[in-house]
Amino acid sequence: MNRRKAIGGIFALTGIGFASFTGFKLFFEKASRGQLQNYENLLAELVDVIIPPTDSPGAKEANVHAYIIRFMEACSSNKDYTNFYNGLHDLQETCLSDYDAHFTDCSAQQKIALLEDLDGNVDTNSLLAKIDNKLRGRSFFTILKSLTIEGYCTSQLGATQLLAYQPIPATYNPITTLEPQQKAWATS
Amino acid sequence: MNNTAIHTFDAIVVGSGISGGWAAKELTEGGLKTLVLERGRNVEHIKDYTTAHKHPWDFEHGTNLTIEELAERPIQSSHCDATDKHFYVKDSEHPYVQEKPFKWIRGYQVGGRSLTWGRQSYRFSEMDFEANKADGHGVDWPIRYADLKDWYDYVEEYVGISGTTEALPHLPDGKFLPAIPMNAIEKHLKESVSQHYKDRIIINGRVANLTEKKAGRGPCMYRNLCSRGCPFGGYFSSNSTTLLDAHNSGNLTLRENSVVKEVIYDDETKKAVGVKIIDAITKEELTYYAKIIFLNASAIATASILLNSVSTSFPNGLGNSSLQVGHNLMDHVVNEGTYGTFNGLLDKYYEGRSPGTIYIPRFQNLDGNTENPDFIRGYGIQGKGKRENWESKTTSGIGAALKAQLETPGKWKVSLGGRGEVLPNYDNKISLDLQNRDQWGLPLVKVHFEYGANDLAMMEHMTKASEDILLKAGFENVGSYRNSPPPGSAVHEMGTARMGNDPKTSVLNKYNQMHDVKNVFITDGSCMTSSGCQNPSLTYMALTARACSYAIEQFKNNLL
Repeated sequence: MNRRKAIGGIFALTGIGFASFTGFKLFFEKASRGQLQNYENLLAELVDVIIPPTDSPGAKEANVHAYIIRFMEACSSNKDYTNFYNGLHDLQETCLSDYDAHFTDCSAQQKIALLEDLDGNVDTNSLLAKIDNKLRGRSFFTILKSLTIEGYCTSQLGATQLLAYQPIPATYNPITTLEPQQKAWATS
Repeated sequence: MNNTAIHTFDAIVVGSGISGGWAAKELTEGGLKTLVLERGRNVEHIKDYTTAHKHPWDFEHGTNLTIEELAERPIQSSHCDATDKHFYVKDSEHPYVQEKPFKWIRGYQVGGRSLTWGRQSYRFSEMDFEANKADGHGVDWPIRYADLKDWYDYVEEYVGISGTTEALPHLPDGKFLPAIPMNAIEKHLKESVSQHYKDRIIINGRVANLTEKKAGRGPCMYRNLCSRGCPFGGYFSSNSTTLLDAHNSGNLTLRENSVVKEVIYDDETKKAVGVKIIDAITKEELTYYAKIIFLNASAIATASILLNSVSTSFPNGLGNSSLQVGHNLMDHVVNEGTYGTFNGLLDKYYEGRSPGTIYIPRFQNLDGNTENPDFIRGYGIQGKGKRENWESKTTSGIGAALKAQLETPGKWKVSLGGRGEVLPNYDNKISLDLQNRDQWGLPLVKVHFEYGANDLAMMEHMTKASEDILLKAGFENVGSYRNSPPPGSAVHEMGTARMGNDPKTSVLNKYNQMHDVKNVFITDGSCMTSSGCQNPSLTYMALTARACSYAIEQFKNNLL
């Protein structure tokens, strides 16, 4: 039997074509670690679009970009690291082609539009998305947003200013009536 | 004094976890010069709780473990995070062989797993002690509830367990501190269950957290950071209680970094004379002698020490004429959990973080009305209700709109998880791998454990029952994680040197004394003849106190 045909047969059976197989491989080109420090400024801009300064500090002031770099370098899976790294590049390319500018030089509106567009493409809840996450790792924006939330809500500024942080409650009042504008507890 | 004299004590206790701590306290307070051997490092109460006062932002990667830390902890990592990992072993340093998937979760340090335990404390009932006899599984317990009742009272008063009295025959009441109260959603669920079901109720979980101050410790500060070690002594651990009292008696010698290799047996006197240890750091081999030996190394480790203690009289391991040592390993069968959200009570919140739970006591196979066609015995369900927050909320969008979602408390969410009784089964066992050894030259432990049909039927039932309970209470998005965690996940391993009346089919008698070797006592999880569905630590503590009382009396009358 012709070897090429045999392999083709396998892929035909599993419903994966050669074209996507190639794409798949390219997608998995592994990024080597230790590179994200070079993107610190870009990440600082990105997290500040996701969690901007309002009546509480923004993610940039809370140093969330540094948290993300630490996490991605030390804790992330290879798939997530690669997706994140490639995602940063894709975003910059989109910026250049759409706005002829680097992300950091884009207007606030352009920055928001870029990230909202990425957010709109993320579908985290469908079964397909879950299988996809398992197979290929989480998408760039999913990682960026979840780490921004995690980094911000566990930062001193986020935990104490956006949220309510009680290091030592001392007592437990199991049923309180929620005050208007009462903030959520920072820890559970 | 010569070396032997320096190395001679009245009693040796192997292990300093929840049962070893009790043995240390009781024996030293009974006047016995006692050596406690702990294989891990020392952990001094308060001083060595290095993460206890850290804020979320003090951790470099939040609660996440790094890739390197994960690689060192392929097993333990499901049970620990960056805030308490130092109280769990590195699997890479302490390998074992899983003949079938089995999580052996360990904390090798002074205090053992009493530092990180779930603190749920429930008595076994008469029904539990009669279960094996009633349906013919395993062997009969050599004791009944009446034998242990006063000892439960004794340890509960010392430990400090918060809870409510409920007058349930299958879950006896104890000496309780005021319960940790329920929040709005937990109360709602309790009321719904009492409306919709005749067979089940919800009670306040019984936990070893101090709702009132006890001498020298507590009360609980409601931080819900127990597994880091409590700088307020808000919950019970060996470090915060039993070991301190043992130390204060003046009769305690504690030797950390002491890996017990074997118990030495004298074929002539037919007694154990001491234990051989290997210093974990220097690898030096040393021998200690005593008239009484308590093994409290935890079920798997204690059985492995017995199996490794080979003599002319006991070629199959110390006190193993029954060939039951290492067999009948049990854990509780757990499901991954059921959850649901509730769209209501949105004006209610709470202040302080409860370390407590709610509990649905066993409601199957209690009597003729609750007989289940698919399984025997039963399970309890533990749960907790909270409002969703930034960790659990699904958010949409970015910017100020996202911040507004993070800033406000989310919907109420309740999580429920079952804990079911596993039947004793000779085929579920630990044994020694003589071909593969650890860094101290000791054979690796092999674990062979599989759930039986009864256990699996129970798992299925607890998931459906949990979903039904939430649906009837008006919860939405009710679902369950369908992949059940591997055995061992409940961290309730027990049964490997069971108690029984007949020396031919059991290892220990009714005083936790080896049938074959009268001066060796085993009061950790090994001794359990059946598993009940209750979290077992309280029973280990009561059995330990009872066995110590007997051993001290025997010692003083020169009978050991």
